[in-house]
Amino acid sequence: MPSPLDLADLPFLREALAEVVLLAAAGGLLSAWIVLRRLAFFSHAVGSATFPGLVAADASGVSPLLAGLAVALGYAGGVERAGRAGREPSEATALLLVAALAGGVILASDVFESGAAVDRLLFGTLLGLEPADLALSGVTVALVAVASLTLGRAWSAIAFDPDGAPTLGLPVARADFLLLALVAVAAVAAIPAVGALLVAAIYVLPGAAARLVARTIPGLLAWSLALALAEGVIGLYAAYWLDLPPGPPVAVLGSLTYAALALGTGLRGVRAGAAPA
Amino acid sequence: MSGIELRAMLEVVLAGGFCGALGFWVVSERLAYAGESLSHGLLPGLVLAALAGAPLLLGAAGGALVAAGLIALAARDARVGPDTGTAVAVTGLVGLGSLLALAPESPQRLQELLFGDPLGATDGDLAAAAALLLAGGAALAALLRPLAATSFDPSGAGALGLSPSLVRLTLLGLMAAAIAIAVQGLGALLVLAVLVAPPVAVRRHVRAPGTAMLAGAAVAAAAGVAGIQLSALVGTAAGASVALVLCAAAGAGVLLPVRR
Amino acid sequence: MTAPSVLAEDLTVGYGGRPVLRAVSFEAGPGQTVCVLGPNGGGKTTLFRALIGELEPMPGRVELSGRPAYVAQTERTRLDFPVTALDVALMGALAHGRWWLPPRRADRATARAALERVGLAAEADVLFGELSGGQRQRALLARALVQDAPVLLLDEPLAGVDPASAQLIDAVFADLRAEGRTLLISSHDVDGARGFDLVLCLNGRQVAFGPPAATLDRATIEATYGRELIVLDQEGAARAVTIHHHEHHDEDR
Repeated sequence: MPSPLDLADLPFLREALAEVVLLAAAGGLLSAWIVLRRLAFFSHAVGSATFPGLVAADASGVSPLLAGLAVALGYAGGVERAGRAGREPSEATALLLVAALAGGVILASDVFESGAAVDRLLFGTLLGLEPADLALSGVTVALVAVASLTLGRAWSAIAFDPDGAPTLGLPVARADFLLLALVAVAAVAAIPAVGALLVAAIYVLPGAAARLVARTIPGLLAWSLALALAEGVIGLYAAYWLDLPPGPPVAVLGSLTYAALALGTGLRGVRAGAAPA
Repeated sequence: MSGIELRAMLEVVLAGGFCGALGFWVVSERLAYAGESLSHGLLPGLVLAALAGAPLLLGAAGGALVAAGLIALAARDARVGPDTGTAVAVTGLVGLGSLLALAPESPQRLQELLFGDPLGATDGDLAAAAALLLAGGAALAALLRPLAATSFDPSGAGALGLSPSLVRLTLLGLMAAAIAIAVQGLGALLVLAVLVAPPVAVRRHVRAPGTAMLAGAAVAAAAGVAGIQLSALVGTAAGASVALVLCAAAGAGVLLPVRR
Repeated sequence: MTAPSVLAEDLTVGYGGRPVLRAVSFEAGPGQTVCVLGPNGGGKTTLFRALIGELEPMPGRVELSGRPAYVAQTERTRLDFPVTALDVALMGALAHGRWWLPPRRADRATARAALERVGLAAEADVLFGELSGGQRQRALLARALVQDAPVLLLDEPLAGVDPASAQLIDAVFADLRAEGRTLLISSHDVDGARGFDLVLCLNGRQVAFGPPAATLDRATIEATYGRELIVLDQEGAARAVTIHHHEHHDEDR
């Protein structure tokens, strides 16, 4: 078993560690909002949707991050215009994602002959993280932190009471779109490290697990942040130790944590008998 | 047209035919997301079967069962909600499957499991697809009236002595079987297309359940054949090609004007 | 006559281009209470949505003096939301502008005072989902109080509420009225409607509007509730109970 200190000693691992810490910080905060606003499916979908764009950019020398951002923000815009129904999984989005994944793999294996890129784009990589990736992750953390501070109250009020929130004078549509756009940017930032298929590992799992134990929203944010950091760093170490891309171990860790907390706090089904009015 | 390609086309026709018909109910009962979650979630089962050298169908079936159980458990939690719970279960399962498949000691078959390998269809796969079409088709034919009754008026159906939850459960079981058999050709990530694209393609044009099911089966089979031929012609991955043709068919069906 | 604080003129409104509520014309001034009666699906909630500006008139006119406070019918999904009663009350402060800043000490004091007013001072740190139905309704009312709006719209605020909470809530309504605010309250309690200044009867269209004594005769009640009405006489009180095929969540007690 390699020493955990390698994470700090070896240069390429230091970069990977920095990236993971930044992403986990962003993911910890953002996944709290994603879980409260029921955006789990959207955060997964926006990551997967970028796959063909990333393949094309990767092979043609265009910055994959820019290509990814263009696709992700476009997808977020489309979802916002589709209204509340657009966030939920539907036949249209399912087929869109299939087309994106199928298109991407054809581009990769048959058009650009970059088949090896597929695993990296879908599941992430420890090596080959560029300064641009770290920069985007840094920007993402900053944006998420500022947004949580300024938009957090509005997001909570809207999530709590979507019918009454507009009367509080909150710019509901703009606040909603900012959240979707933020999730889109964050998803693209996470793709180099955890892959397009597993962005939910950072943006859904910590928040979901935290939701099981936190009683208030500040508590939810704190728990989510702590879990994300722990899962990210331990997952990174596991990836290094087992010679794997980071996405899968972080995903497995995150879901095991959720399972443990769910069992620990008692599986709570839908409340029967709660008065609907 | 080589023997391998002929077998591949036969498999997509048999499996796709059933899926295209079943898809009518998948869509009208809003089970697309459940299907998507199930198909992604069975990945560890597929990987384990591939690692052990066992038939993929066994891995798919076992994986689907485990995934169904875990998803059902996770989706029950009221605190995070069913969508988030399902996402947690599926992300964990996809993570587990890819972790096992990408371990350095594992033979590199992950892309085939994710995106399908119709050209690798074995005799066993063909037999399974044929069995699915026969048994599943018979089941669907027998269930046609109960399905129609419970789907269009769940509360009224109870009075007719039908149990909507039992019917729905049967549907889920058929869907799981269809996914387990079709996943060899299309892969865990793309297999949903064969269930969802055909009904989407025909639903604006054909309304009656019986006819829509047949139309869906035809669209799926045609798309399957076209996809395989296209992949042979242009040199693209076969499974992904079939998936893209299916999606294109869905798009065409949505955009084409309805004949009145 | 003082300027009305809420006014609708020839209002027709609906969803997706299809009108579900037609020809509504009424007005109410400061300090007046309006009871909105009607069967489920008759347009009460639709009217409220039009009044808060969520639905566009198609055609018609809606005018309010300032942004109204809206207490919608509570839904199941909010029960597990991680907020305390105090957090809920504090949400009302967002209406005062500068929602992007953290709550000020004055806002917290106002929120606590509002909780006190609805009898929830002791439950300030209890999670919303752990409150009883009546307490939850009172917490939402506290939020409306903090909002300090001249007009309050309440959608069946007493539905499923225990008698003690209902009494408290009624007392708060009386206070708000004395403060010169306008209250629009939808309900199924035909008898209770007689205690309001005005009643507005809706059933896909405006059936009647005016003071209850003059407006609430048998013909109007039947036109409002149609065939779904069962009038039960218990100790001389008339209550409207509407029967639904799917869910029973509108029986008033």
